[in-house]
Amino acid sequence: MTSASSLDNDLLIADLRHRLAEAEETLRAIRDNEVDALVMRGSQAEEIFTIGGDPDSYRTFMEVMEPGAAALDGSGRVLYANSTLTRLLGTSLAQLQGKVLADALAADTGKEIGQLLGEAHTTRQSREVRFPRGEEVDRHFIVMASPLQFGTTSGHAVTFADVTERVLNEGVEQSEHAARAVIASANEAVLVCDRDGVITHANAAARIVYDGNPIGQVFADIIPLRFRDSTGFLQADDMLAKVIAGTPLRGIEATASKAPKVKDYLISAAPLRIAGDRISGAVVTMVDLSERMAAEKQQNLLTREFDHRVKNILALVVSISARTASNTDTLQAFQKAFSGRIEALAATHTLLLEKSWSSLELRSIVMSELTPFIEATADQVTIEGLNVAITPQTAISFGLIVHELATNAVKYGALSQQGGHITVRAVGRDDGKNGAFVLEWRESGGPRVTPPRTKGVRTRGHHA
Amino acid sequence: MTLAKPPRKLILYVAGQTPKSLAAIANLERICAEDLPGQYAVEVIDLRQDPKLAREHGIVAIPTLVRELPIPLRKLIGDLSDTHKVLTNLKLGDGA
Repeated sequence: MTSASSLDNDLLIADLRHRLAEAEETLRAIRDNEVDALVMRGSQAEEIFTIGGDPDSYRTFMEVMEPGAAALDGSGRVLYANSTLTRLLGTSLAQLQGKVLADALAADTGKEIGQLLGEAHTTRQSREVRFPRGEEVDRHFIVMASPLQFGTTSGHAVTFADVTERVLNEGVEQSEHAARAVIASANEAVLVCDRDGVITHANAAARIVYDGNPIGQVFADIIPLRFRDSTGFLQADDMLAKVIAGTPLRGIEATASKAPKVKDYLISAAPLRIAGDRISGAVVTMVDLSERMAAEKQQNLLTREFDHRVKNILALVVSISARTASNTDTLQAFQKAFSGRIEALAATHTLLLEKSWSSLELRSIVMSELTPFIEATADQVTIEGLNVAITPQTAISFGLIVHELATNAVKYGALSQQGGHITVRAVGRDDGKNGAFVLEWRESGGPRVTPPRTKGVRTRGHHA
Repeated sequence: MTLAKPPRKLILYVAGQTPKSLAAIANLERICAEDLPGQYAVEVIDLRQDPKLAREHGIVAIPTLVRELPIPLRKLIGDLSDTHKVLTNLKLGDGA
C-alpha cells in the first residue's frame, strides 16, 4: 500500500511539474510577443481573442484603397494583399499570403522592394519601381513602405501607385524631342505628313521647297511635284499614298515647280510608325539636286572636251611622225627629230595645263621652246612685244614652229656657235587690223647661211 | 523481418490569418520540406472555425504546434521562426 501510494504521488508531482512548465512556457511566449491570439474559456464555450485587434479591420480598409496595398510582417512575408495588387501580380491572395513578397516578383523588382523595406525600418520610404510584363508594356509604380505594427507583429504597410501612363508620356515626350532635334539638324529638307498628307513637322531646310509655314497645309498643294516618267507617279499625292500604304521610296528624282530656290530634288520617303505597326504618316526627305546636276553637266562637258583633245593630239602626232619620216634618212635621225617635236608638243601642253587650258602668251611659248637650248646666264635671246594671248589650239601649232626654228638655230644658225643671238619680236602690231602683226625671228652672229639641200618641216612651216 | 515505422503526426493550431498564424504555417511548411521531408503527417487546425478543438490539447496561446505522435506529446508555442528550436523539440524523446 505504502509503495503504491508513493508511486501515485510521484506521478502526480511529475504531472504537476509538467503542467507548471507548460504554463510558464505559455506565459513566456505571451510576454515575448510570440503569439497573437489566445483561447478564452467563456461561460458557454471557448472563444478566440486576437491580441492587438482583429486583422479584418485593416484588411477592409486596404481593400477599399485605390492603389495596390499589402501588409508585410518583419520578414517581408505577405499578411494581406488587396485585390488591386493581386491583379497586378497576376496571382491570388491564397497564393500570395504567407509568401515573401520579393520572391513573388521578378528578380530585379524583388531586389528593389527588399531594399526599400530595409530603408523603411523606422520611417516611410518610397521609390519608383519597374514591373516587367513580358511582351506587354512594362508598368511603373511608386512603391511606398511605412513601418507599421500589426498586433504583436512589426512589419510594413506597402502601397503601389500606378504611374505607368505618366512614365510613358514622359518617354513619348522625350522621343518627340529627340525626333524634332534629328529633323531640325538635318541638312536636307525634311517634312513629316499625317495619313491625310497634311504636314505636321518641317525643319528649317524645308524653306528651300516652300517659302512659308508649311505646318497644317496639304503637302501636294504647296509642293507640287513633277516626276520622271519611270517612277509611275503623276503627282505628290501618288507618292505619299504609296508610302502611307507601307512602301518606302528612295532616290526618286522630281521637279518642284513652285519651289522658291531650287527646282530639282532627289526624294526619299518612308512610312512613319510612332507606336506598333500602325503607319501614322510619312517622312519625306528632299535633297537639292541642282549642284549635283551642274556637276554632272560639267563632267559631261569635260569628258567630251577631253575626247576631242586626245583625238586632235593623236592626229597631230601621226602628222608629225609622217613629216619626220619623210625628211630623215636613218632611224636614229627619225628618233631624235621625232622625240624633239613630241617634247616640244609636251612643253606647250604643260603650259596649257598650268593655265587650265585657257589662252597662252606668245612670250611664254617662245621661252618654253628655247629654254632647253640656251644657257641660263647667257644673253642669247631677246624677246620684244610678244605679250599677245592666243588660243590653246594655236598655241600648240605655234609651239611646234618655234621648236623647229630653235632646233634649226642650234644646228645651223645663231645658237650653233658662241656669240650668236636671236631676237624674236612683233612687227607692225600697232598698225595692223584687228591686232594682226608679223612675228619676226632674227638670228645674228651665226655662221654664213647657205640654202638647204632638202626642203624640211622648217621650210614648209615658213611657207605655210 | 522489418519493423513498421512508428506513426508521426504534427498538429498546428492557428487563429485564422493573424500574422503569427500565417508565419507559423509558412515556417512549418518550409521546415518539413527542407529538414523533415516525408517524416510527419501535418494537420492545421483553425481554431477560429471551431474553438472547442482547443480542448483536446489544452491550447491556450496561438499559434501552437503539437507533436501528437510519437509520444510523449510535445508543444511548441510561437511562429516557428527559430528552425533550430523547432527541430530540437521535435526530435526530443522520439527515439529517432
